[in-house]
Amino acid sequence: MDATLLLNTSTLLTLTIILTPILLPLITKTPPNSPPTITRYVKTAFIISLIPMTLFMYLGTESIISNWEWKFIMNFKIPLSFKIDQYSSMFLPIALFVTWSILQFALWYMASEPYITKFFSYLLIFLITMLLLTTANNMFLLFIGWEGVGIMSFLLIGWWHARAEANTAALQAVLYNRIGDIGLILSVAWLASTMNTWEIQQAFLPSQTPTLPLLGLILAATGKSAQFGLHPWLPAAMEGPTPVSALLHSSTMVVAGIFLLIRTHPMLATNPTALTLCLCLGALSTLFAATCALTQNDIKKIIAFSTSSQLGLMMVTIGLNLPQLAFFHISTHAFFKAMLFLCSGSIIHNLNGEQDIRKMGSLQKTLPTTTSCLTIGNLALMGTPFLAGFYSKDLIIENLNTSYLNSWALLLTLLATSFTATYSLRLTILVQTGHTRLPPITPINENNPLITNPITRLALGSILAGFLITSFILPSKTPPMTMPPITKFAAILVTLLGIILALELSNMTHTFTHPQQNTPFNFSSSLGYFNPLTHRISSSNLLNTGQKIATHLIDLSWYKKIGPEGLADLQRIMSETSTPMHSGLIKTYLSTFALSILIILIFH
Amino acid sequence: MNPHAKLITTASLILGTTITITSNHWAMAWTGLEINTIAIIPMISKSHHPRAIEATIKYFLVQAAASASILFSSLINAWSTGQWDITQLTNPTSCLLLTAAIAMKLGLVPFHFWFPEVLQGSSLTTALLLSTAMKFPPITILLLTSNSLNPPLLTLMAVASAALGGWTGLNQTQLRKILAFSSISHLGWMTVIIIYAPKLTLLTFLLYTLLTSAIFLSLNTSHTTKLSTLMTSWTKTPMLNATLMLILLSLAGLPPFIGFLPKWLIIQELTKQEMTSTALTLALLSLLSLFFYLRLAYSSSITLPPNSTNQTKHWYTNKNANPLIAILTSLSILLLPLSPLILPTI
Repeated sequence: MDATLLLNTSTLLTLTIILTPILLPLITKTPPNSPPTITRYVKTAFIISLIPMTLFMYLGTESIISNWEWKFIMNFKIPLSFKIDQYSSMFLPIALFVTWSILQFALWYMASEPYITKFFSYLLIFLITMLLLTTANNMFLLFIGWEGVGIMSFLLIGWWHARAEANTAALQAVLYNRIGDIGLILSVAWLASTMNTWEIQQAFLPSQTPTLPLLGLILAATGKSAQFGLHPWLPAAMEGPTPVSALLHSSTMVVAGIFLLIRTHPMLATNPTALTLCLCLGALSTLFAATCALTQNDIKKIIAFSTSSQLGLMMVTIGLNLPQLAFFHISTHAFFKAMLFLCSGSIIHNLNGEQDIRKMGSLQKTLPTTTSCLTIGNLALMGTPFLAGFYSKDLIIENLNTSYLNSWALLLTLLATSFTATYSLRLTILVQTGHTRLPPITPINENNPLITNPITRLALGSILAGFLITSFILPSKTPPMTMPPITKFAAILVTLLGIILALELSNMTHTFTHPQQNTPFNFSSSLGYFNPLTHRISSSNLLNTGQKIATHLIDLSWYKKIGPEGLADLQRIMSETSTPMHSGLIKTYLSTFALSILIILIFH
Repeated sequence: MNPHAKLITTASLILGTTITITSNHWAMAWTGLEINTIAIIPMISKSHHPRAIEATIKYFLVQAAASASILFSSLINAWSTGQWDITQLTNPTSCLLLTAAIAMKLGLVPFHFWFPEVLQGSSLTTALLLSTAMKFPPITILLLTSNSLNPPLLTLMAVASAALGGWTGLNQTQLRKILAFSSISHLGWMTVIIIYAPKLTLLTFLLYTLLTSAIFLSLNTSHTTKLSTLMTSWTKTPMLNATLMLILLSLAGLPPFIGFLPKWLIIQELTKQEMTSTALTLALLSLLSLFFYLRLAYSSSITLPPNSTNQTKHWYTNKNANPLIAILTSLSILLLPLSPLILPTI
């Protein structure tokens, strides 16, 4: 059978399958969806989506499906077109696999939730828009997907909307994403006006691309992927339920920004300014997030900062002009990060809502599967050789070391890598080992297959994904082949350094030392003082400027003082000055007359 | 007042005015002015009120000083040129002194201080005479000697009159003082154009006389002398109240009324003579007098007073309604379309 036909059909079938639970009730009178049904839909879609991936792996088939055209402007084509290339055909099965596992886990996690079907429908709509974003061939569809994931993120973070912190966090997410959207709209408008197209294949310039649209794209990625500057929403987004954190804020939504940069990479490749900006921004983000993660006590926040740090690493890869490697890291990162979140969800629910790692301990004995997979996830995150994370992360560090680019970025990234090891090990030690610090009556059990199956499935993915992807996908740029041994081992060395540091520090906790407050600790645990500084300053500046311009300048000054009131005031002053001159004393009058005549006569 | 005394004073007024306006010798002009001064004194002091007596004294002193100055200027001219012809005044000192003296006679700034108090001290009809009839001879002299006057001094005095008339008038509540300041400001308009187009001065003066007579006679009918009395005058003479508002707006120089004509022509003539900044200043300053006219119109016709009145219409009619009011009011409000007929006759 024709490979392209099979590819197109199976991709469209995948997309239709996940659309069905949403669209079918609108068309016909069917019984309402139930959460297990939705999970089954996603599982089916995953299995079907393996077909295009396999076709791509073995035959290298790529295609573009254009269905319908929105006849809005006569000479500007906006078709409904899907692109099935190496990025989307790889991302589709991975995203569906991770979503299937998360939905299965959510059947247990959200079992006591009254609106569980709505929750699952929200997750499904999110998945649809995310897949739309990744398979989009033109910027219009990408923008639809972009906005869709933003809205679903807002709805899902604020799922427990009666909680004030959840509402604040959801609003924060929307606002920061919106700032990024400004950049995206700028680039999209520039594309439409300069290149007369919204399709990325047609948007190439032989010479250097102007920096402005690329700055727009980088701003969009900064907003969506929580780079430094627009990052506070990601730790705040942990207010949502754990399945939401697992799906949106680890594997799929936050990588949308990086994905955008991967898609538009041919435009970025010619502009060294944009690439350097990506490099430095990514390096700063990764180090900042890793520093903040060192002193956090909430398990979900640590994993959130870890996500932020890995996103910074992906941005660094973009800055190194290696989009395929960035995508590789996205794929492997999805597995172990989702698993880390699911493990943390299992721990939290079993400990009856306890999220503080200072109140956990010795869970290795009571939650063996969960904690083993937590360990596997942490090791994969650290870049342990031959687990999933190693293939992408180590390759990134090797490329960074052998490039002739910014050495400050290199230094920051290496430091962040060692910090990754430190906080991961801290997490492991505090959660799994030592004496328990839980309250006495805490019934813990993980016998439900709804918990263990997804986690073990993802653990399998965390171990094998890196190996499988490297084996089957050819690199588009030659990887560095030769380098000095110390450069080759640099990543492992700094990781080991981080581990040793963490172990030393944990040893200190066995002896009673008086904890001292010092500046670096305060910096790290206050998340770099970023939130209080920016949130208060920007809003108060805006409101003050508004008051100055609208009230003081326009209303009070122009309309009152300089206009009518000021004029009336002047006249009143003149009137008050001239009235006392008429004192009624004839002597004064006559002397004024005489003096005036004298002056008149003298002056001539 | 004793009918004989009234006859003598009225006849003397007419005589004095006639002598001045028909003279071509300075002595005759001065005689006429002096006769006018002396004749109006009994009329001002008619009511024997201390304020009226004080007004009389002030009027007499100032007018006597002014007439003496006119005589001095003609003497200086006669001394230097040897002739007493009014139209042949050529000595520069004499011209300056004459300008100042006429200003004092009329009430231009800085010689205007006597005018409001004199007007306040006299009755409404006497005030009418003082504002209109007593200004006629000096205006005539101004017209006759228009070539000999000092232009910068005149323009300065005119603009200052419009300004001070406006500003000081803002702070008044007595109607006679308000009308005095309005007179000062109108005199400013009259004297600014005398160098370039004396006909316009005459036109302005005549229209001013018309309007002021209408106002004074209307006010006289309802015996209103204060702003507070004006507010309840609608109960006494409702129709006159309404027309009073229109006459006031005409005096302010608003377009559908006749008061607009002199202002329009003066501004046009000034612009033709390249004196646009003067024209602009004068126009802006007349906004001040517009404000107090509007205040009068507002308090007489547009609002009800803060106090309650006993009845809506007072039944007693002790009004000496002058039939002349009807003619003057109609002319003041409706004359503008006839301006093409007016202009060539002046």
